[in-house]
Amino acid sequence: MLTRRRLLSIGAAGLAAGPAFLAGRAAAQGRPLTFCSWGGALSELEKTALLDPFAKAKGIEIAHASPTNYAKIKSMVEAGAPEWDIVDVGGRFVTQGKDLLEPLDMSLIPNAKALDPGWVTPKGIFTSTGATVIAWNTNAFPADKGPKSWKDFWDVKAFPGARGLYKQFYYNYEAALLAAGVARKDVFPVTDDKIKLAFDKLREIKPHVKVWWNAGAQPPQLLSSGELAMSSAWSGRILAGIKEKAPIAMTYEDGIAWGNAWVVLKGTPHLKACMEAINYAISEEAQSRLLDAGTYGPALGAASAKASEAQRKVLVTAPENAKNMLILDEEQAAAYSAKYEADWNRFQLGG
Amino acid sequence: MSGAGGTSKGAAAALMAPALLVVAIVFLAPLVRLFAMSFEAKAGPMATYLEVLGDPIYRHVFVNTFVVSATVTVVAIAIAYPTAFALTRIGPAWRTLLFACVLFPLWISVLVRTFSWMLLLERNGPINRALVGSGLIDQPLSLLFNRTGVLIGMVQVLLPYAVLPIYAAVLRIDPALIRASEGLGASRLRTFLSVLLPLSMRGVATAATFVFLLALGFFITPALLGGPASMTLSMLIDSLVNERLDWPLAAAASMVLMVAALIVVGLAGRFVSVRAIAEAHR
Repeated sequence: MLTRRRLLSIGAAGLAAGPAFLAGRAAAQGRPLTFCSWGGALSELEKTALLDPFAKAKGIEIAHASPTNYAKIKSMVEAGAPEWDIVDVGGRFVTQGKDLLEPLDMSLIPNAKALDPGWVTPKGIFTSTGATVIAWNTNAFPADKGPKSWKDFWDVKAFPGARGLYKQFYYNYEAALLAAGVARKDVFPVTDDKIKLAFDKLREIKPHVKVWWNAGAQPPQLLSSGELAMSSAWSGRILAGIKEKAPIAMTYEDGIAWGNAWVVLKGTPHLKACMEAINYAISEEAQSRLLDAGTYGPALGAASAKASEAQRKVLVTAPENAKNMLILDEEQAAAYSAKYEADWNRFQLGG
Repeated sequence: MSGAGGTSKGAAAALMAPALLVVAIVFLAPLVRLFAMSFEAKAGPMATYLEVLGDPIYRHVFVNTFVVSATVTVVAIAIAYPTAFALTRIGPAWRTLLFACVLFPLWISVLVRTFSWMLLLERNGPINRALVGSGLIDQPLSLLFNRTGVLIGMVQVLLPYAVLPIYAAVLRIDPALIRASEGLGASRLRTFLSVLLPLSMRGVATAATFVFLLALGFFITPALLGGPASMTLSMLIDSLVNERLDWPLAAAASMVLMVAALIVVGLAGRFVSVRAIAEAHR
């Protein structure tokens, strides 16, 4: 029987455990497991292919949010009441934000053993693959006569028109070095000389860069409307745009390949379900569904191997595509982004 | 004001209490927290202010913010003055219509208006198509993602704040003064320059203060229509908060922006009284 005395003792225990405990409990009772990603084609894919079947099998509801915002993660976790549980972050955040993340309980994620070890880290697991590619407006250049490399991207005589590049230093460091003729295998490790070369090369293209985009939806939109002739872009967004008959095209040649990492925010009230959801997302069953969508590819090699001829054409990890790409070193990207942040900001503002 | 005379000070305080409480909780408390946060950088308590005020890239942003705000103010006043003047000189039916045109944009979200400008100013948008189609220009103009786009968008959004105070000031001018001027043989231009313009200057100063202050902290329009080289303080603060996660530095930049705004208010106070602002909105 619940007596007044017992009620008080429960209350005292709650207080002793601190506000985070209370907030966590309130949240667990108040809201479903919440997944946050970058929006657009990726969020859609992650919902239908990786999460909906899991939610259905487990009989739980999963709520979806977008876009991923590192500041919001920081403030929510520091306040002890995250509104998101699993978040798709850029690979860099697995390192950069490690203090804000729960360590993954690998005993609940046995499927991780089947992944390439490079896709598994203590606080994040990569669940799908994509690339930062060169995309263009097909009215500016026909689909089969488009740019084939970052050298072409920098060649404003052969390929005139306004350019778009990503707002942060990553992707641009890699693109600039490839444009400068550095071999793919020599882009990493990062050195001060290479950073200087990248900045020099970026200064060359800067007058032609009309938009430094920061949302994945921007390149397909700005290319479709003709505002930009050519832009770097996330592959899945462009592939989704092409499916909708937008006048845009892309190439995997000279693409910068990466993965989408899922992390669990510290203080989540759904810790166990998060681990199980991640385990399901990297199962062969779930990963194989990514092939059908034809936007972002699987992280699991066994799933990629089953791709049909047509699916392979748009599959990032298909050997014939991957051989012409650079694999982004997320750890180095996180390091150089932090180290040269002031220089990058100065460069963006005209210095 | 005659009604307030009968109310005791205690009752007035009680009536004000809810509003004061709201201001204290949702404005003053966060402001104090923000102020404290600006000294919490790992590099030392004053590091943020040294960085914000000493680094040339941030100075560039400050200068750009002030240049954009000042330009917007001048252009908005130049458009608003004749409009406000016309409003006092036309018949009631036209005045209602013209007023609706001035006020209607205020009822539409700034975000919607800014997105509309993006569509209008696009490389292949209606403005460029019309200009190219009419043979006025060969190549589409670059109107988006640069300072031109920012100025066009901000002037449009802030125009009502310039029209209303000037209209109120012109309306208050005693018509007898104009008749007297004309009766003494002054030309219309002379009457305008010697009578109307000086008497409406207070309205212009109020309008300029309004527009300049709002422009200083404007975010959506410059963020969507501007390019990287036209970064303003509010965009910098956003990037410090959301991208670089450097909240002490963002807090310091916010404090600097606030002090700048207070200085503008202080200077404007010599020309504009708070009362004039209240009257303009009556």
